[in-house]
Amino acid sequence: MPSPIAFNPSSPSRSMFRKKKSINAMSTAASYLSAVSEADARARIQNGSPTSTPALSLSSSITASSEDTILDESEDNEDGLTYPSVPPTSEQVFTTVHTEFGHCGNEAFRFTSGHPLGEPVKVIHEQDPPYYILLTTYISYILVIVLGHIRDFFGKRLKPNAYKHLMFQDGYAALNSDFDSFYTRRLKLRIDDCFSHPVTGVPGRTIVLLDRASPDYNVTMIPTGTKTRALNISSYNYLGFAQGKGACSDAVEESVNRYGVASCGVRLEAGTLDLHVQAEALVARFLGVEDSLISSMGFATNSTIIPALVNKGCLVISDEFNHASIRFGVRLSGASVRMFKHNNMKSLENLLREVISQGQPKTHRPWKKILVIVEGLYSMEGTFVNLPKVLELKKKYKFYLWVDEAHSIGAIGPHGRGVCDYFGIDPHSVDILMGTFTKSFGAAGGYICGRKDIIDRLRISAHTGSYAESMAPPVLTQVIASMASIMGVTIIQDKPASSSLSLLRSSDASDLTITEPPSTTYPGNAPSTALPSWISLPPTLVDGSEGQMRLRRLAFNARYLNRALRKLGFIIYGHEDSPVIPLLLFHPGKMAVFSRMMRTRAIPIVVVVVAYPATPLVTSRVRFCLSASHTKEDVDTLLRACDEIGDLLDLKQGQGERWPLKDIIDRAVELVNMKEMP
Amino acid sequence: MNDSTSTLEPLFTALSYSFTTLERNFYKIPGSAVVARYVKSSHQNDPGRTLLEVILIIFAIRTLLQSRTRADNSGKHFIQFDEKEIDDLVEEWTPEPMVAPLSPKEQADLASVPVIVGPTGPKPKLSNGKTVINLASYNFTGLAGNEVIKERCIDSLRKYGLGSCGPPGFYGTQDVHIQLEHDIADFLGTEAAILYSQAFSTVSSVIPAFCKRGDIIVADRGVNFAIQKGLQISRCTVRWYDHNDLKSLEYVLESVEKERRKKRGPLTRRFIVTEGIFDLDGAMSDLPKLVELKFKYKYRLILDESVSFGSVGRTGRGLTELYNVPASQIDMLVGSIANGLTSCGGFCAGSNIVVNHQRINGTSFVFSAAMPPMLSVAASEGINILRNTPSILTTLQENIRAVRAILEKVDCINIPSHSVSAIIHLQVRLPSPTHLTPQMASVTPTSPKPSSPLLATPREVVQFDHELEEKILQDIVEEALAQNVMVTRAKRLRGQELQEIRPSIRLALTAALTKKDCEKAANVLKAAFVKVVGRRR
Ligand SMILES: Cc1ncc(COP(=O)(O)O)c(C=O)c1O
Repeated sequence: MPSPIAFNPSSPSRSMFRKKKSINAMSTAASYLSAVSEADARARIQNGSPTSTPALSLSSSITASSEDTILDESEDNEDGLTYPSVPPTSEQVFTTVHTEFGHCGNEAFRFTSGHPLGEPVKVIHEQDPPYYILLTTYISYILVIVLGHIRDFFGKRLKPNAYKHLMFQDGYAALNSDFDSFYTRRLKLRIDDCFSHPVTGVPGRTIVLLDRASPDYNVTMIPTGTKTRALNISSYNYLGFAQGKGACSDAVEESVNRYGVASCGVRLEAGTLDLHVQAEALVARFLGVEDSLISSMGFATNSTIIPALVNKGCLVISDEFNHASIRFGVRLSGASVRMFKHNNMKSLENLLREVISQGQPKTHRPWKKILVIVEGLYSMEGTFVNLPKVLELKKKYKFYLWVDEAHSIGAIGPHGRGVCDYFGIDPHSVDILMGTFTKSFGAAGGYICGRKDIIDRLRISAHTGSYAESMAPPVLTQVIASMASIMGVTIIQDKPASSSLSLLRSSDASDLTITEPPSTTYPGNAPSTALPSWISLPPTLVDGSEGQMRLRRLAFNARYLNRALRKLGFIIYGHEDSPVIPLLLFHPGKMAVFSRMMRTRAIPIVVVVVAYPATPLVTSRVRFCLSASHTKEDVDTLLRACDEIGDLLDLKQGQGERWPLKDIIDRAVELVNMKEMP
Repeated sequence: MNDSTSTLEPLFTALSYSFTTLERNFYKIPGSAVVARYVKSSHQNDPGRTLLEVILIIFAIRTLLQSRTRADNSGKHFIQFDEKEIDDLVEEWTPEPMVAPLSPKEQADLASVPVIVGPTGPKPKLSNGKTVINLASYNFTGLAGNEVIKERCIDSLRKYGLGSCGPPGFYGTQDVHIQLEHDIADFLGTEAAILYSQAFSTVSSVIPAFCKRGDIIVADRGVNFAIQKGLQISRCTVRWYDHNDLKSLEYVLESVEKERRKKRGPLTRRFIVTEGIFDLDGAMSDLPKLVELKFKYKYRLILDESVSFGSVGRTGRGLTELYNVPASQIDMLVGSIANGLTSCGGFCAGSNIVVNHQRINGTSFVFSAAMPPMLSVAASEGINILRNTPSILTTLQENIRAVRAILEKVDCINIPSHSVSAIIHLQVRLPSPTHLTPQMASVTPTSPKPSSPLLATPREVVQFDHELEEKILQDIVEEALAQNVMVTRAKRLRGQELQEIRPSIRLALTAALTKKDCEKAANVLKAAFVKVVGRRR
């Protein structure tokens, strides 16, 4: 299938630039443009007739507008981030801005995410590092802890002023005692330059960092006033919907014009707009279940809705690595909690047998209900929940199941419908499907999906409905537009034909043939009647081809980086199809160095480093979040950086066969398409 | 002597045998040779170091083991079953249904929720085709639909996209977020401020960030649901004082201090938690007195201004502006950007220490994506408009006065809200003597014995017929809607709130309506009250 963003009308001149690879990194917009026009001229000569060639126009390749930062001459392209290193041929019409959503026309760099049907789910064993790594990791923690205590000891005596806020002070106990804040002050502060870095612009394929410097070892950070564009491997932008240009943004603009920015109230009072109703219907259809409920914050979706399902006398069984929002919600609910080992089905089953046979503590009365809460894709581990096995246990042990798909929705599965889709499971078999719009859809907020009776109960009894502000109209529009473009839209002609056709941009409407009947099957298209009549989408979004392209590019990138890093010898956790890829660093000191080295390379790269308390103490890691907006070249860039830094920091501790970097990059397609990694 | 050696001999051999086996096994462990060599050489250089390292290793192992221990079946209540018995028990167990089905009343409630078609604002269109006067939406300053804000939002959409795609700690902090934090701090006059992406989740995260087990919180009995949840999750010791009664507060502060002296407990962190204007009933706190008490007893003050921020004060800065109390005297000032600036999210303003502490410990700040940049631009622009147009707040106050002037005179309406509050609660006052109105209750001399600070429920509980009043109010809401005025009952999770809350209709006034419209709406409401309550007679 041709990719719509890289619209390529099957021309023979596709590989023309293979020979001209030497033209990389154009330094200015002008040189880029001249390269494009040269290429265009060459293509014309080769093809003889230019009929199949769309006229070269700036707007066809890069959306340009006067204030567009992309064509801002002041921004050079020395780092190769602003323009593609290989200029497009004029046959390739890219409608996205390269810095937001990379241009990648090569159909080979695509893959379909999905578990092979009928095969058992492999249990992934996490590799352990050599003992000396563990030992030195502990030693380095002990070292900083000891040093920290020594510094506190002397500091309190020599510089009492600096410790004032940590001590009793004219009758007030310290807000944050020196003991409670020890970890923050003495460990985290050392690497604070890797966190909370202010940014600007679209958090898409690249991101612009607002540079800062610290004169006093990270106590204060002072903006230097300069900016750096960096390759963004850190944002939760799985499908690349973080865009300032494009059809979704156009829809959002229209909605701001129509609706303003707020809904001014809570859902059950006067904060329900028609958009809420439409979005909820669409989300339910997207997930293939009866009904859904939308909340304005992903965190709050967990923290305020779990208490409506369970209470005292109920038991929640929670994976040990579940997200903070889940723990928050469970604690509010008053239910008892037990944890099982991360994604360990044996541990879960043993626990189930124990708790059901023992009943409630002390009284031994049977539990009212048992709710098992798991995540679809664990954002720190990169693991998928073993859903088939969980469902098997569910049948036997009769618990209710809540799957938090914050990271998996949109990001995995052949149709982007999350873990159920990935494993080919009927979504009805899960009681509650929860997810957020922050990650794959470039929006904000979260949803709960399930049977209608459950959702109706939650509308009435969950905190969200009565107390929390409802979702803002522009956010709802982003959800609707992005979701519809993943699903594809079936145009349904109702009597006033104009209203449904306005879904299409007027100029494009003639191209469209209405063939498919309205389908209600899962995972099917969205009927145009389910969308607000004023939303207009270009044909590539309506036919779902752009959505498919996003899904398939993400699947390729994820699998490529996963396998490539393993082949380079790193210790990588998680599933090979996961777009979240944790690379284990172990030593706390390496986190800061890794992050800084990445950020200060010739092509700056931003990554997220995480350590205790978000992970177990010894397994500090760097986490890559890939996106459909990354091109294969971007992943190559990242691999080169990892390879170099990995050698320097002695990170390649993994077992298994290794390939040299060059092989990996050249044989990427082969590597991704292998059934099993050798 | 010889004898004893011979008897000990087998012991020695056994010992030395086990020692060699141990050593051999030790060298079998991969990497052990390195360790041994390392220990040997370091021991030669500095014997003290070996000791230190051994201690460190023991420490490390202890931490390792500690993290693995879990509450398991060692408790004394554990009953041993064999596999077959467990299978039977599993077979036998039937869980309750996931949720209870909705009662007919709940279904009716759900069905009666109005759906606005198109933009919300002072006069929105509803799904039944009617255009109504809106006294239900939180749009105090009338910023909803403001063209300047829209324009700025679209600019920022093109520059930032919509979502922030990451938590603030991981490249989710955009310059516009920093700008808004700065704007809020500057507007209120505090050192700093921090943004949360949902107003409701703000205070329930702020409280547990500071208050831990063992700390003391003295809270108003009428605090809103979000605060209740924050108190619950913080697990600290809570003492209650009567709703908006600062005498009662002083009494509780005294009693806490007495208790501490008696127990000779350590000095812990102590907080007063209350609201500026209460979401419960629109009552307003006496801020100067509150601040005086907090300083006197050395408490910190967490003040939730979710309703008052953006609705009172000359330019909408809230209670601090109204009473002319420097905002810096309030340790944690929590507000709603969603209500006050018609955007989304919430904030907590305070000193740099207070704010920076939350950047690491505010759960819903750390673990949630930053708010969409566009919405923080909208809020910044909102502040800008409020600063430059004090007339907005004057109009709002005029509208409040106009509505109250009409409704206060109605016999069957009881208004517990403060006269400047932009939310006005209307309770129904039934004439029959069985229904004690709160007004009468407050007139009756309060019993000399104060309520126990340990309990969330006060000694004097006002009696009312919840079902009946709710029904009447809902009828009034529908009657008003039939006359094209949209109002709403205050929706509460009955049974989950700390105490039974008297049903009310909650009006939210706006500066976007003219005085005439407000009067018209108030008259419609008045007629609806009279009609529905009259029917009951
Ligand atoms: C599993 C999980 N649930 C919920 C959330 C919260 O989502 P949001 O950022 O939209 O508040 C996250 C975000 O990090 C998450 O990882």
